Amino acid sequence: MDRNRWLLPLLLMLFVGLGYAVLSIPEPVEGLPKMLVDNMELGGVSNPVTAVLLNFRGYDTLLEMGVLLVALLGVWSLGGMPDYHESSPGLVLDIMSRQLVPVLIIVAGYLLWVGADAPGGAFQAGALLGAAGVLLLLCGWRIGNKCSGLPLRILIVLGLGMFVMAGTGLLLIEGEFLQYPPPVASELILIIEAAATLSIGTTLAAMFLGSRPGEADK
Amino acid sequence: MNFPTGAGTDHCKRMKLLPMELILGEVPWIVVLIILPLTGGMACFLFPTISKSLGLLTSLAVISCVWGLGWQLEEDGAQRYAIGGWGAPLGIDLYADGLSLVMVAVAALVGLGISVYSSSYFRRDKANHFWPLWLFLCGALNALFLSSDIFNLYVTLELLGLTAVALVALADGSEALTSAMRYLLINLMGSLFYLLGVAFLYHSFGSLDIAILAQRVEPSPAVWAAVGLISAGLLLKTALFPMHFWLPAAHASAPAPVSALLSALVVKASFYILLRMWLEIFPIVGISFAQLLGLLGSAAVLWGGIQALRQTRLKLLVAYSTVSQLGYLFLAFPLGMSIAWKGALYMLLSHAVAKAAMFMAAGNILAAGGHDRIADLSSITQRLPLTLTAFSLAGISIMGLPPSGGFIAKWLLLEASIQSGQWWWGAILLLGGLLAAAYVFRVVSHVFTQAEATHEAREVPARMEWTALVLALVVIFLGVFASWPLAMMEIGSPFGGGS
Repeated sequence: MDRNRWLLPLLLMLFVGLGYAVLSIPEPVEGLPKMLVDNMELGGVSNPVTAVLLNFRGYDTLLEMGVLLVALLGVWSLGGMPDYHESSPGLVLDIMSRQLVPVLIIVAGYLLWVGADAPGGAFQAGALLGAAGVLLLLCGWRIGNKCSGLPLRILIVLGLGMFVMAGTGLLLIEGEFLQYPPPVASELILIIEAAATLSIGTTLAAMFLGSRPGEADK
Repeated sequence: MNFPTGAGTDHCKRMKLLPMELILGEVPWIVVLIILPLTGGMACFLFPTISKSLGLLTSLAVISCVWGLGWQLEEDGAQRYAIGGWGAPLGIDLYADGLSLVMVAVAALVGLGISVYSSSYFRRDKANHFWPLWLFLCGALNALFLSSDIFNLYVTLELLGLTAVALVALADGSEALTSAMRYLLINLMGSLFYLLGVAFLYHSFGSLDIAILAQRVEPSPAVWAAVGLISAGLLLKTALFPMHFWLPAAHASAPAPVSALLSALVVKASFYILLRMWLEIFPIVGISFAQLLGLLGSAAVLWGGIQALRQTRLKLLVAYSTVSQLGYLFLAFPLGMSIAWKGALYMLLSHAVAKAAMFMAAGNILAAGGHDRIADLSSITQRLPLTLTAFSLAGISIMGLPPSGGFIAKWLLLEASIQSGQWWWGAILLLGGLLAAAYVFRVVSHVFTQAEATHEAREVPARMEWTALVLALVVIFLGVFASWPLAMMEIGSPFGGGS
């Protein structure tokens, strides 16, 4: 209780200080958005968010894919929770998942495609795929032993791997890391986004699994 | 804003170069340094059976890439690389000067030591998790030291923090899990503070690039808020007193190579960002804030030293010694002259190598005896002469005695404090050295007392002993050959002109 006595005034001071800073803030400088609009035809896609995420600041997204992969590595390294065995999910969940999972997969594909010129893109599509995976896992579905080793791991690193490979390839051909040649920029972005979608979906679902498949069975 | 990359843009110059030098000059090592460890990490994840050799190979390759980058910087001076060819402010730029080069070099050097040490340290199942995480951490460090974009720095901080937390949790036991959890929360809080500060700066000046911000920045309440938030976030991650509370538990409970890399490299990463911001963007904030940082640094030196003296376990002693040594880095802020920054950077360099050696030595003792109670060390350490030598040599640098890197660093800081007429910071340096001598001798003295070997000590792989010793020898070399690293720091004059 003693601790709370000075914590509250401290937080209040922080709040008031930040509030003052936010209220006194000048109008945002308009230089960068205008520059973005000027360069849009070189970006390969007409959705500015996708252009920034995948092209102008693609390197940030590359590292973010790394963050996602590392999060999964961290979860797996903890040893995982006890593996629960296949159970029958109950009638409602069973029927609902049969209806929902195909819809989720189709919507994910649509979001990925539409991301080029409307809100959407790899992260949203990947999140939907991940939701589909979690739903399947809740219904007691488990990944087959044949696929739980290298194939699963390939799927998980695909997003980061494709990004790095594209970047390095372009470095060798074009001379700059991640420099998309404007004529094929949209195709390259779509390929990278598709790989990222698969990886994000798989990673999110695999995190829900808790431990590296095959290890908990031992 | 396309800057020339690498050497040899001048055609006549290119013709004269040997093929080997042509390759060195043409390859953008600045990108390779980031991509290579990330690729190595992915490969280790895909093929766990060969992850040990992949990890060692990557660490060796990173060293040679640093050499390539150093060669380029020496030829052409500071280097700017526009990723994707866009250039700041639309895209992200990488930037390398003497400061980044020293950081990347020390990360590569200590990294190689950690890789060699870890190749004998971890059991098979832990090694499968360790290698990909460690290589990703290595990539995150390089990306952080070479970035010139404040939002990109946030992303690298996230990558670094998550890998570090996962590595702490690799140790067995609830103590490690608790401290890993606390470390995660602290990391996230620090990152969010930093991110909020970045938002203020971006909103006010419309750019994320450090060089552009440096030109545009002018005092306003928003900038003050940004400086406060960014500094608070980074100081929390750097564990400056009194925000060091999370460090001893996290660093002491991690596996030995992880403790080494946390103390040697990870805390230095956030310090590097603070230093970079301070040199480029924050000169406007004035003198009082610098005095505050110096005061906190002095408190850290004394408090960390006293706490280290009071510990009964070796790893906790070494961890509190890190708290104390981090304090020295902040003494350069109130001095604020080129020679003081060099002293702080030299301190960072030699502390990184010495502390890695010390944690490895502590890990060897723990592996041999099964415990690290300082009072009962004598029976173990008498069987590990190499480890003991490594601990003592590293201790020389921690104390700041010649000939060692720590001595050069303290000498530079002392000179700066006398030149600027602020002698009291010099007094802190001497007091800190005395405290360090006290806690290092406290450990060493237990070894020379005769004791019965009560129980059978386990065998420690020779590779683990030798790695600690070689790193400790490197610190001594840093004291003898100081001119070379000091010349390296000069490239691109990151600390401004003059002395």
